Amino acid sequence: MTAKKVLSEKVKALFALKVSGIAADLEVPGFAFFCGDNRLMDVDEVADLSHELESLLASLLSSKDPTDLSSAAFMATKDFFGNLSQKVLMRGGRVEDVVRYTQTLQLALIDALAKNSGIAFGQSRSVLVYFTGIFNELIMAVFGAYLEEREHTLQAQQAELKETATPITEIWDGVLTLPIIGTLDSSRTMLVMEALLNRISKDHARTVVMDLTGVKSIDSQVSHHLIQMVRAVQLMGSDAIITGIHPEIARALVSLNIDFTNITTRASMSDGLKEAFVRMGITVSH
Amino acid sequence: MSIPGLHLTQIGHGDFLLDPSKSLNIRDRDSLIERVTAHLLQARAARLYYDLSDLALIDPLYYAWLDALARAARVVNVTMICIGMQPSAAFALSKFMSGKPAFQTALAIDGWHK
Repeated sequence: MTAKKVLSEKVKALFALKVSGIAADLEVPGFAFFCGDNRLMDVDEVADLSHELESLLASLLSSKDPTDLSSAAFMATKDFFGNLSQKVLMRGGRVEDVVRYTQTLQLALIDALAKNSGIAFGQSRSVLVYFTGIFNELIMAVFGAYLEEREHTLQAQQAELKETATPITEIWDGVLTLPIIGTLDSSRTMLVMEALLNRISKDHARTVVMDLTGVKSIDSQVSHHLIQMVRAVQLMGSDAIITGIHPEIARALVSLNIDFTNITTRASMSDGLKEAFVRMGITVSH
Repeated sequence: MSIPGLHLTQIGHGDFLLDPSKSLNIRDRDSLIERVTAHLLQARAARLYYDLSDLALIDPLYYAWLDALARAARVVNVTMICIGMQPSAAFALSKFMSGKPAFQTALAIDGWHK
């Protein structure tokens, strides 16, 4: 058994309205929030937006059940606000602007409907409750789009960071170089290892020269990860050459009892490359 | 030659390729090692290439099998070379392995050099 919704006279009148000619009233909040100093939209764009919104609201209010938040008409309105939020954020706007616009729009809409119909919707508690429910959901859609956009931005930044943290270059056919600069912590070492192993597999690299000139300090855990990285490279069938180990790092590795017996080291990147060429039978002449 | 779970093919003078299939039962490793080494001895093999390209992960049990096979091959004067190890398998293996493995590694058959 389904409970029948009891609607007040004002709400019934609202749902019976033929909504039209309110686009100009809906433009006002758009001008205030998007055409000010921030210049997120131009006047024509706000006008188009308001016309689209008028048509969406007309569809919602004339739908079979305007209180149904899962109806196609409501979902279309929700998508409109989600897209608007995304558009504003992509243009450098703030989520607060879209939220304030949506809140102001609610009041502008009630005033416009009252003005056009001559019914005092603004003084009806049930009409206000209905619109508050609808607009709260729309604000949620705005926040949803904002969070999604933020998530995309963070993912893009992480991907960029990953790319710059692992500048693997194929310097010669089958020879990869990996200069490591900055602090080498466990998560970064794992990141570097993943990228390096995948690159070896992709390029069929026979030798990898890892240059630690830019690494100033190393701890026990990281040195173990480094050894693990070299071991994984060797397991894939490539040679690993470590270059540019600072005296402080050499001392730290000794005091940490790290076994470098099966690892080839060279003083500098150029020595490492020479060793890689010798192993591959390549002669470079001046 | 086909041993249950393993395909052993001669690919050149003294070179053999060992291709494991999904039906390989490494719990039966003693019998498998005996059959492989018997064939290598008979064929006067020098190198045994073990193809790992279809293996996404190597666990300690599988590593023990590879280690035992490599050591057995060395006893009959055959060098075992694991080829085509996937990045995920190399990563997993490097985490629990300590020291040098009993087998050698190469990217592919033609990538191995003494």
